[in-house]
Amino acid sequence: MAREGEARSFRRKFCKLCFDKVDRIDYKDDRRLTRFITDRGKIVPRRISGTCARHQSQITEAVKRARILALLPFTSEQYR
Amino acid sequence: MKLYETTVVFDPGLEEARVNEEVERVTQPIAQAGGEVIEVQRWGKRKLAYMIRKRRDGTYVHVKHKSPPELIAEMDRRFRLNESVLRHLTVLAVKESKKTLAAAAEAAAKAAEAASASPVAAAPAAE
Repeated sequence: MAREGEARSFRRKFCKLCFDKVDRIDYKDDRRLTRFITDRGKIVPRRISGTCARHQSQITEAVKRARILALLPFTSEQYR
Repeated sequence: MKLYETTVVFDPGLEEARVNEEVERVTQPIAQAGGEVIEVQRWGKRKLAYMIRKRRDGTYVHVKHKSPPELIAEMDRRFRLNESVLRHLTVLAVKESKKTLAAAAEAAAKAAEAASASPVAAAPAAE
């Protein structure tokens, strides 16, 4: 447990997609996209995932397309 | 003429022959309109992320094609009228640059090495 005045351990966030040198995110690649949605099916914001602007916008586009084809959920079943 | 990618989700109840027939009905007009079917991928039966018309699965077919833009609207109209189509999506296909092609080839080589190929572009090996 962090004591008062003691800084929580910080790890710099980095874009995992840049790290993997991903050029383009495909809406068909639902396995990769599941890493960027919450268990409720929401798109994980950049401030949480640490994705860069370029990749985040690609993710949003891809997730939305994948949802149309029912590759990804709009919302998770148990919350409906 | 533009490069498109069309994915269609058919009713899982359709038998093989009917699916082939439906695919034919997608590819034929493309050829007739002076387009070109580049690739037909059958992903087979997959679980849907959510229920569509009380179906839990769907038969996925993915077609890459070159078509005149006017045909896309017509295609869309036909899909919507077709009862055995649960979902459809047509998007402009991105032209693959040399860099991506090289990266894809590299990834494919890596995936083959790991001998764990997935139907859709394998996720990078996380070692």
